[in-house]
Formats: sequence, structure tokens, C-alpha cells
Amino acid sequence: MIEQDKSFFHRLVSNIDWYLVLAVAILIGISFTAIYSSGSNYGMSFRYLSVQFLAAGIGFVGLLLLTSFNYQYYKHLDKLVYALSFALLVSVLLFGSVKRGTKGWFDFGFISFQPVEIAKIMYILVLSSFLDAKAKESKRVSFLISAFAILFGHLVLIMMQPDFSSTLSYFPITLFLLYAIGVEPFYLLCIVIGGGLAIGIPLLETFFDMQLKIAQNETFLTNLALFLKSGNNVVYIISTVLVLIVSGWWFLWKLRIRIPIIYPVVLCGAIVLGCVSSIFVEKSLKDYQRRRLVVFLDPQVDPRGSGYNIIQSKIAIGSGKFTGKGLKKGTQTQLGFLPEQHTDFIFSVIGEEGGWVIAQLTLIFYFLFIWRALVIAKESRDRYGSLVATGIATMFAFYAVINIGMVMGMMPVTGMPLLLLSYGGSSILSSLCAIGVLCSIHIRRHTY
Amino acid sequence: MVWQKEDRFAYENFIEKHKVILVFFILLFICLSIRLFYLQIIKGNKYKAISEQQRLHNTNERAPRGIIYSSDNDVLVSNEFFYVALYYPPDGHKEISDETLKDLEIILGRDIKPKTDKNNKYGKVLKLADNLTKEEMFKVREQNMRLRGVSVAREPRRVYPLAEASCHVTGYTSEIKPEEIEDLSEQGYKPGDYIGRGGIEQAYDEYLQGKTGGWQVEVNARGYRVKASKYIPPEIGASIYSTINSKLQKVAYDALKNSDTGKGAAVVLDAKTGAVLSLVSCPGFDTNKIRHKEFSKFLKDKNLPLFNRALQALYPPGSIFKVVTFAAAVEVLNISPSEKVLCTGKFELGDRHYTCWYKPGHGWLDLIHATAQSCNIYFYQLGLKLGVKNLEKFSKKFYLGRKTGVDLPNEKSGFVPNPEWKKSKQKMKWLQGDTVIFSIGQGGLWITPLQMAHMMSSIANKGVCNKPYAVEKIIDVNGEELYRHKPEKEERIDLSDLTWSLLHTALLETIESGTGKRCKFKYIKVAGKTGTAQNPHGKDHAWFISYAPADNPEIVIAVIVEHGGGGGVNSVPIGRKIYEAYFNIGSETEDNKESAI
Repeated sequence: MIEQDKSFFHRLVSNIDWYLVLAVAILIGISFTAIYSSGSNYGMSFRYLSVQFLAAGIGFVGLLLLTSFNYQYYKHLDKLVYALSFALLVSVLLFGSVKRGTKGWFDFGFISFQPVEIAKIMYILVLSSFLDAKAKESKRVSFLISAFAILFGHLVLIMMQPDFSSTLSYFPITLFLLYAIGVEPFYLLCIVIGGGLAIGIPLLETFFDMQLKIAQNETFLTNLALFLKSGNNVVYIISTVLVLIVSGWWFLWKLRIRIPIIYPVVLCGAIVLGCVSSIFVEKSLKDYQRRRLVVFLDPQVDPRGSGYNIIQSKIAIGSGKFTGKGLKKGTQTQLGFLPEQHTDFIFSVIGEEGGWVIAQLTLIFYFLFIWRALVIAKESRDRYGSLVATGIATMFAFYAVINIGMVMGMMPVTGMPLLLLSYGGSSILSSLCAIGVLCSIHIRRHTY
Repeated sequence: MVWQKEDRFAYENFIEKHKVILVFFILLFICLSIRLFYLQIIKGNKYKAISEQQRLHNTNERAPRGIIYSSDNDVLVSNEFFYVALYYPPDGHKEISDETLKDLEIILGRDIKPKTDKNNKYGKVLKLADNLTKEEMFKVREQNMRLRGVSVAREPRRVYPLAEASCHVTGYTSEIKPEEIEDLSEQGYKPGDYIGRGGIEQAYDEYLQGKTGGWQVEVNARGYRVKASKYIPPEIGASIYSTINSKLQKVAYDALKNSDTGKGAAVVLDAKTGAVLSLVSCPGFDTNKIRHKEFSKFLKDKNLPLFNRALQALYPPGSIFKVVTFAAAVEVLNISPSEKVLCTGKFELGDRHYTCWYKPGHGWLDLIHATAQSCNIYFYQLGLKLGVKNLEKFSKKFYLGRKTGVDLPNEKSGFVPNPEWKKSKQKMKWLQGDTVIFSIGQGGLWITPLQMAHMMSSIANKGVCNKPYAVEKIIDVNGEELYRHKPEKEERIDLSDLTWSLLHTALLETIESGTGKRCKFKYIKVAGKTGTAQNPHGKDHAWFISYAPADNPEIVIAVIVEHGGGGGVNSVPIGRKIYEAYFNIGSETEDNKESAI
């Protein structure tokens, strides 16, 4: 037993990816500093930091445990893992407590836990296991259907909370893993188009309705909304697109650029299917649900919010300029102009108080971390490890891009935290667990 | 390196996809870095300014304008202060909450209807209450924590002690109108500023404007005050020392107001320097009531109280123009002062009849007495002999048809007619009859009262005089002299000594025995000329221009009573009152002396 431990630690020290550890350590250091600064405004620094320390401590233990645990067992235990994730998501629906309108928390007094964060990692493990097992069937339609069935199992449960922002990260993870296993990118694109139309059309309609209500003067958006709302314009636009696709294909065919007929057929099918299913989505969603979805996607349509968060966040980041205003000296942060500053808008705090230097460094270290995760995927000793590592890298990358893009005003406001940096016990815990899985893959890369 | 249990092909396939994913993530992070660079480095200064602006609330305090003094050390314009309650919306709260409004209503004990003040630099400011007393101001300040966003500002207000009497000299102030701001913003004016309108307030606005001050306060996102930073006291504008004599101004205004029609103008100039001692236009308006509803009454009044008659009204000069005809006749025609002409009261030219104002006729008159009696027939003949060219030339010599260049705004230049003008404008030939009426100052000749006073001051000084001016010097709050008037010589009117002495004798005779008898004093010799100007709008205008003392002129007066009838009866007494005030003669002046002490 002692020898085994020795050999584990020996293997850990000699095989662990020190770049990854360095990047994570620096990111967590930045995170603690920023949380400390943003909490001092309300006199909450101590509370925030103690919670974060505790969660990170537990997360570190989890990291070590998961590192020592051979990841290959997940592949064989995939049904158990999937069942466990279901149990977590179902029990939170039954016993969880409600926070900000979402029934997605287990409340343990001073600390609360969000099981969806762990479920996400379990999903990566389960999906990778499925993809690895059925890799040879990747060209079949049944393969795609099975993969999406696994996805929808989670989505439905999370939507029932309802926690829309957590579901967002499932899509890129699924699509990237399907791409990595060798599914034709064209079909993935068609899926994206079809799904986007099915959900996008009802949302866009609601969005334009609300835009028309709040808009006082004519803008491009209101004109567009009026144009789309009047008559059968949407139908015309869609038929035009379909005709363009078909004629374009025909034209290329005549030019002796031969594209199999299956491509335009699938594309048109995806578009038509998306539009048709959008009618059902529209009917099944109640008005207030749609509205909430839209506001969640873009709070600028909410007249009282009026994009206040994003404006303040941009001011905070921009006003940091090159060197920043200094720790605890950011006026946007300390005077409370910046909303949600220790959670979703933590990057704005870094940008304001640390300036461009620290913010760009944070971006670089975040990318270093994701790059190392992808290197781990490349160096894994089996396909399962590669897929899991790719899935984890994709999760971190999309969380980061969506969150940082949001605080810089490039993307609509979503409730997605910045993993490893935002305040939040569950997210730091699950992030460290995910890193544990990565390490587990990495230190076993040479084991045959 | 290959995957365990898998063939090489599957691994290479994965590596290909892996590369694409890595490149995709690199691109995403480059996008984020570009955006970060754009926000912080390129737009950094802009966002820094916005963050400062929402952190710091400025409560502007309008600076009082400079004080305008009269030449006799009286105050023409000063300031008083009152307080206003304003609502500066804290960030994110555009409208004042009902609770705050109710609290303020309880404190002030009056109904409050917020009014938007669109002109504030920092977003919308609501004006909650006007005219707060000092106690109310302190109460509101004490309740600062409860009244979120409410602040009290001190506002200066202009006070004009002479009110109507000085209205056209001082002018008044009012807020910049939205339609003016485009032009004025180039000169550094901001919306919400007050600017002078008319008179010295307008002409010297840049000196009178003070520097706005105020409180700078750091507030948090909820609008609570975190730190009071600094207070910059507003700086009063520079003081203006005008040439206006408040006593003369008042006397002249009262005299005009008590005249038959109560309409007219009077200008008093210092004969030596050209300083405007008084400039009156009647009726005036109370400049203290600019903010009140009464002001719209002034705008609608048919007597045009806002119209500065002394500078802007164009009148026919009538008989006072005879001094020009006189000078031209002596210069050009070498008229002998003893040569006599018969006035029968009638004058015929072709088929037109012209009459003298004295219907029975003056009988045989020489040049001096014709002037003193203001005989029209005599001057018709002079005019005919001179011709229109000479009359025009001498009119322009005496500064008619152009602005005097006084430092007050909106002066009119008047007009001197000539044959070309009549041809182009009225499409008619210049007739001899036109010359005839030109010689007595009628028909197309338009002048302002100030021009008459200016002309008279050059006559008093034998053709030498200064440009009229109303401001002597300007001294800023630190005692530094910003401006001092430099005398500007007018173009000399080059006439022979004989002409001057004859003209002076005639003007003296007018007061001694002629139409201006009502202005005769025992110890002071006054020279002058009366006029009765016909006009198409009603009764004749009564004119009187004069200077005194005749041997060493000190002041020059021009008076017109609009539709006042005969100059000798209606205008001369006003001139007399001004002389009485200036030379301290008569019982009235003694009363004034006592009250002054």
C-alpha cells in the first residue's frame, strides 16, 4: 500500500503537466485577489474568500483523488456514471432549493452546491465513452440520434429547473466531440442550422415584439422587426434561401463542380425541418417563458435593465486603461456601479483594477490552460482519454469565451460564470475535479 | 504516438480534427484580446471619462454677473441671491421617487411639480422648487440622507435699481434660447447660461460673465454621497464703470414719461469726451420683472417698451436739420447774415404750394432770425439754391446716414436720400419739391436721436468731437483693469470760422428769443434748435437739440417726444429739466441734494 502510494506520488511529480498546474495556480491566485477586492465594497471579502478557500480546498482533494483514479474505469462504468448524473439532477429537482428563480441548488447552510456543474463533467465522460465505443459507426444516422439522446436526457432535466445558461455549454461540447470522432462537419452544420431555426425563430419574434414596445424612435431593429412581422415576409425569405441553395448547387453542377446531391437535400431539409419545428416550439412555449428566454439572452430589451450591466462592465474594463486603477481602487467596482462583480463580472474587476496588463495576462494564462488540455488530449494513450480531454477543453474554452465576450459587450448577457475565476463554490469544485480528470489522463499517457 | 487498440488511421484522423479545434480556440482568444485592447487602450480615455463622470456629480453654481456702476458712483445693476431645490438623478434612477418628493413637500410645506431643466450638462436635472429662503435651504441640506439626489443651489438674480429708467442702457439678461445655442456655443457659451440682451449687458457680456463654480461630490451607484470632494466658489464677473449719470438718466426718463404722449427718447452726451451721460427711451420696461408673467405684456404692448428709441428708432429730423442747411448755405452760397427774405407764410414752386409753420408769415427775416424762428420759407429758398447734391454732401459731413459707432448694440444708421435712391426705389425722378422739403429735414431723411446728439456735439466744438461711448472702464474681481475706453476722434467737420460763429449765434438766438425760449436760464447760456417733424403716422414729432454752456459746451442734449406736436412747446421743457439737474439749478435740484445727503 505504501509502495503503491510512493509510486503514485513519484508518477505524479514526474509525469504531471507542470504548465497546466502553473496556469491553474496563477488563475486561482488572480481569482482570489479579484474576489477579495470586489467583496471589500460590501465588507464581504472575508466571507467570500473563506467560502472560496473551502471550496477550492475540497476541490483540490477531489483533484488529487481523481488524478489517482484511473480514468479508464469511467469508460466501463459509463452506465453507472450516467445514472448517477441523472440521480443528481432529479434529486435537485425534488429536494433542491430555489435561488434566482432556479431550482438547482443543494443548500448546506452556509455553502450551497449546484449539481449541474458536476453533471456536466459526468456528461463529458459518458458521451466520450459512447463515442469511443461506437466510433466505427460514426457515419450512421443512428449514431447521431443516440448521441443526441444522451444529450437530451440532461437537457430536459436542466430545463426543468429551469437553468438555461447551464444548458448552453452542452451544445459546443457535444458538437466538438462529434466533430473530433469524425462526423461529417457538414451534417453538424445542418444540425446547428436546424436547431438554431427551431429555437431562434420564436425567440426572434418575441425579441422583436419587445423591441417594438420599448423603442421610442425608429432604429434599424424596429424597421427590421416591422418588415418581418408584416405579411408572409418570413416565408418569402426562407423560400428565397431554399431556391438559392438549389440553384447554386445546380449552377456548380453545370460548372462541373460535382457536389453529391445529398448535401443540398440535407441542408434544405434541415432548414425546412427547423422552420416547421419552430412552429411547435412556439406553441409549446408559453408567452412568459419566451419572454424570460429573450430577456435572459439580451437584457437590453428589458427597459428597466436597459443593458445597464453591460454598459457598466464596458466602462469598468475600458477605464482600467493600461495599468489599471490599482487593487481596491476601481471606482466602478468599489462604488457598486458594476453588477455581479464577484461572480459573472469578475473579469471586469480584473480589467478595471489590473488594467490591460493583468487582463491580457489572464487571457494568456487561460489560453495556456486550454492549450495544455488539448495537448493532453493529443498525448492520451487511448481515444477515450483524448475525447474526454477535448470535451473538458471545449467546456472551459466556451465558458471563458462566452463570459469574457459578455463582459466586453460582444455577446448577450448569460448567467455563465468564468470557470476558475468567478466566485462560486460549485464551479471551482467542479473545475478542479475536471482538471483532476485531465491529470489522470496525462500521468497515464505512457502506461501501456 | 498512437492510441492503444486503435489503428493509426483513426489517430491521425483525430489529430487533424484536433488541430482545427486548436486553431479555432486560438482565433477565439485572439478576438477576445483584440476586443480587450480596443476597450482599454484605444477607447480607454473615453471610458475613463465616463467612469469619472458617473462617479462625480457636479452641482453647478451659477456665477453672479459683474456689477455695472454709473458715473456718479451709483449702482445701475447688481445681484441678489435665491435658492433652488434641484434633483440630480443618481445613476440608474431617472425619475424622482414619490417618497422623496413627499418628504420634500413636507419640509417645504408646498406642492412640488418637478420641471425638467434640459440644459444641464450632466443629464436631466429636475427643478423641484424655486425661491427657497435661507432657512428652507438649510432644512433641505440637513435632510440630505432622506432626500436622495436632492440638492440646493444658490442662484444669482439681476437687480436693476433704476428699473424702467435705465432699461435700455443696461439691457437685461435671460437664458440662452435653444435656437441660439448653435451660434453661441462657438463663443464658449453653454446651454443654461444667461446672456445679456440689449444695452451694456449685451455689449459687454463677455466681461460680465463670471466663472461657474460648484460642488463636486463622489457618489456610489445608488446615488448616495460617499465623499464630498471639492467646492469651487463661483467667481463674479468684472465690474463695469459706465459713463451713465444715474441722476440725469432718471430725470430725463421721468420728464419724458410725464410728457403729453409719454413716448420718445432723450440722449445726453458729454460735449468734450463723447461719453453718454444718459440715454433714455420711453416707455421703458421694468428689467426686474423679466422672469415674471408681466414680461409677455411688454412684448405685446403697442407702445413698444422693448424698443430702444434712442438708437433704433428712425425719425424725420424736421426743422432741426436746418442747422445743416444753414452751414451749407454759409459755406457754399456765402449768404450774408444781413440779407433779408420775405416770409409770407406761403411758397410756390411750379404748381405745388409749400407753407411756413407760422401761417401768417414771419415777414422780412435775416439768416439768424430765420433760424431762431425756424422759418421754413427762408430755408426752402436756401435749399433750392444749394441743390440736392450739396444738401446730401453736408448731411453726410454731419455724420448722418451712418452709425455713430456707440458701444451699445443694435444701433441703426438712418438714411440720407438722393436722386439715385429715389429713382431706383420709387421709380420716380427727383423733383425740386423733394429738394425743398429735404432742406427742412423731411422726405426720406431718417435719423436717430443719438445721431442728432452726436451731430450737435460736433457743432458745439466747431467740428471736432469724439465717438460716443457708454463704458469708461472694466475692472475684474482681482482689481485688474481689463478695458479702458480710448477716445476716438470723429472726422473733423471742416467749416470756416465764420460759419461756426454764425451758426452758434443763430442757435443762441433760438433759445434767447426764438422757438426755444422755454429753455432760457439766467446764468447759463444755452444754444439749441427746435424741430417739429411731420410724419405719416400721426401728430408731429417734437424735437429739441441743444448744448450748454454756449461759450464752453459741457453737455449736449437731443430730445424727441413722439407725436408730441411742436418742438418748442413739448420737447424744450424736457431739455430744460435735464439742464436743471445737470447744473443744479431750480428748486427741484435742491430737493435732490437734500435727499442725496
